Amino acid sequence: MQHRLFAKLAAQLGRQQASLEWKWMNDAIASDTSKNSLQDIVRRRCLGEPLQYILGTQPFGPLNLLVRPPVLIPRPETEHWVIKLSEAIRPTAQSPFSLLDIGTGSGCIPLLLCHLWPQGSVHTHGVDISPHAIRLANDNALLAGIPPPSDGDYLKRRNTFGTTPANFLAPTFPEEAMQIKPPFHIITSNPPYIPWKEFLELPRSVSEYEDPKALFGGPSGLEFYEAIARFVGRKDMMTSDGVVALEVGRGQAKAVEELIRTTGRVHHTEIWTDPWGIERTVIGRM
Amino acid sequence: MFRLLRPFVHRHPPLYRRAHVVAANGNQAPANTLQNIEKEHERLLRVVERRITERQSMYSQLTDQMSTPDDIAKLRQLKESEPLQNAWDDWLKAREAFNETIELLTDSDPSMRALATEEYTTLTEQLNKSVTETLPQLLVPPSETAHLGALMELKSGVGGSESSLFLADMLRMYQRLANASRWKAQVVTQNDLETGGIKDAIMEIKGEGVYDSLRWESGVHRVQRVPATEASGRVHTSTVAVVVLPLMEETDGKNDDLFSMDEVKVEVMRARGAGGQHVNKTESAVRLTHIPSGITVSMQDERSQHQNKRRAFQVLRSRLMDRKIMREIEERRATRLNLVRTADRSEKIRTYNYAQDRVTDHRIGLTLKNLTGIMEGDDLQEVLDALKKNHDEEVMEDMLNSA
Repeated sequence: MQHRLFAKLAAQLGRQQASLEWKWMNDAIASDTSKNSLQDIVRRRCLGEPLQYILGTQPFGPLNLLVRPPVLIPRPETEHWVIKLSEAIRPTAQSPFSLLDIGTGSGCIPLLLCHLWPQGSVHTHGVDISPHAIRLANDNALLAGIPPPSDGDYLKRRNTFGTTPANFLAPTFPEEAMQIKPPFHIITSNPPYIPWKEFLELPRSVSEYEDPKALFGGPSGLEFYEAIARFVGRKDMMTSDGVVALEVGRGQAKAVEELIRTTGRVHHTEIWTDPWGIERTVIGRM
Repeated sequence: MFRLLRPFVHRHPPLYRRAHVVAANGNQAPANTLQNIEKEHERLLRVVERRITERQSMYSQLTDQMSTPDDIAKLRQLKESEPLQNAWDDWLKAREAFNETIELLTDSDPSMRALATEEYTTLTEQLNKSVTETLPQLLVPPSETAHLGALMELKSGVGGSESSLFLADMLRMYQRLANASRWKAQVVTQNDLETGGIKDAIMEIKGEGVYDSLRWESGVHRVQRVPATEASGRVHTSTVAVVVLPLMEETDGKNDDLFSMDEVKVEVMRARGAGGQHVNKTESAVRLTHIPSGITVSMQDERSQHQNKRRAFQVLRSRLMDRKIMREIEERRATRLNLVRTADRSEKIRTYNYAQDRVTDHRIGLTLKNLTGIMEGDDLQEVLDALKKNHDEEVMEDMLNSA
């Protein structure tokens, strides 16, 4: 039985990947985090469903996050740059930062930063158009022990994470953002960046399971960066020493760098490569 | 301390480097007991006596004010050697009491004789304890690795799939030992063989004194048995190589004294195409290369790169610490004439012979006729204890020779 199941999985994924996933499946069953039987798990995996959705979790830095379809599964590239960002910027409880995460999805970016930075040094806020994402991000905050913002004195000494459902591309967004109390010290985003042409070539495990609203970045793939540049360009949205950290798709870094420079607000930019050598993150400083 | 008295112990003469042999037969004259103890532990007692004399003279060198920097250093040393002084005083007291008791053994009063006989037994025990436990423990510096857990690496050697099957049995043996000892054991990485068995594995074992208990498991373990897969019933010989590393926990900052971050190359293993949002396949494998030493560590068993990296750094740290310890042993060996146990890990250290139901440790010539009990992890402790004792004796001997 077990042999047959494994053979099925190996036929689908290749032996090496199958052995690893087999172990993770069994671990998840043993630790009770997965309520499904191994048979069910393998069957779903062989149909192309992402392992993360089947197991319901994905480790992200030291955090173990919940993942639920169709909310975008946190990627290792994102994990890498967020950890790097947490080391490049060190806010303190003496002068706490305010952070806005645009298209927060599972909440992985602000939650990891809240976890890594000293308590009371950052108050984060995630916006997303998807109610599924907002719910998941709040569940993850609860799981990670990161409280929502509050006026209570006690909470001011802790890092916080709040959410707002909002359509970032809507003309009314800057208005809505005023409710989250700008200016922000940091804006982070892993916005949808896949252009139309590439969208059609995505693996099925991505295109058929993850929310297209979290992936499709308009015909050029740059639609959200244009909006972010406009947002950053407004006065009062960012502090004078603010930082923008944006994840980008392969081949987009130069264009995005150019976009945020044209705001006139960003004076210094750098590009970080991911562990696979691809230009992945554009950092802009005011 | 200096003897392993076990029913199944037999020693190979070349490995038996005891300077003195205890004349531990019960027929000797009571009056000779003390003499024998003193003779057998002559070197130890001489060293202790010398330390005590040094201590006395240091004491007399203190100035009246007791406040010069020199005084303070001396006071600290005196404080440190106080337990030795106490143990020595106890030894002298017991010795005196013993001599008094000897005379009373031949007393005309039967009740006095009975009392003396009882006293004689107690004092003999006490004296023996002083020279075999208390004093040696105070002379030998405490282990610097006593607080460390261990990373145990097992690799299948000669013997093909049978070697991998035995590796799985060994892994189970150590897991059971860990459970029985209330240590926390976790398999960090394991590569299964398609035909059954495990090609290689790394297990993390946390707990007080784990490394010191397990470190002598390093070396080549040999199994002789009819493999489950062997139809003809022929006995196979195969091996598993074990390396026990000190478990180095992550240090808080990046200021590691074992390596610096820019000496380590971090690589991801597989191509990911466009990566990012385009791909959601879990590819978390990482490889570290410590450039100065050429040590590489690959880790792929965890679901995130961060976790694999953390694990890989832990293994790297442990391997570097292990190198450091081995180097120190080599240096000690080079500076002293005495032999210290070889650090050669290609040495065959133990045989598990199923047909004869025996396990033999070749380093100390220890044979236990209880293979099942050992493989179940229950009786392995006995082997570990013997090895640890042997090590303590070697350290002691080394200390005496260099003193």
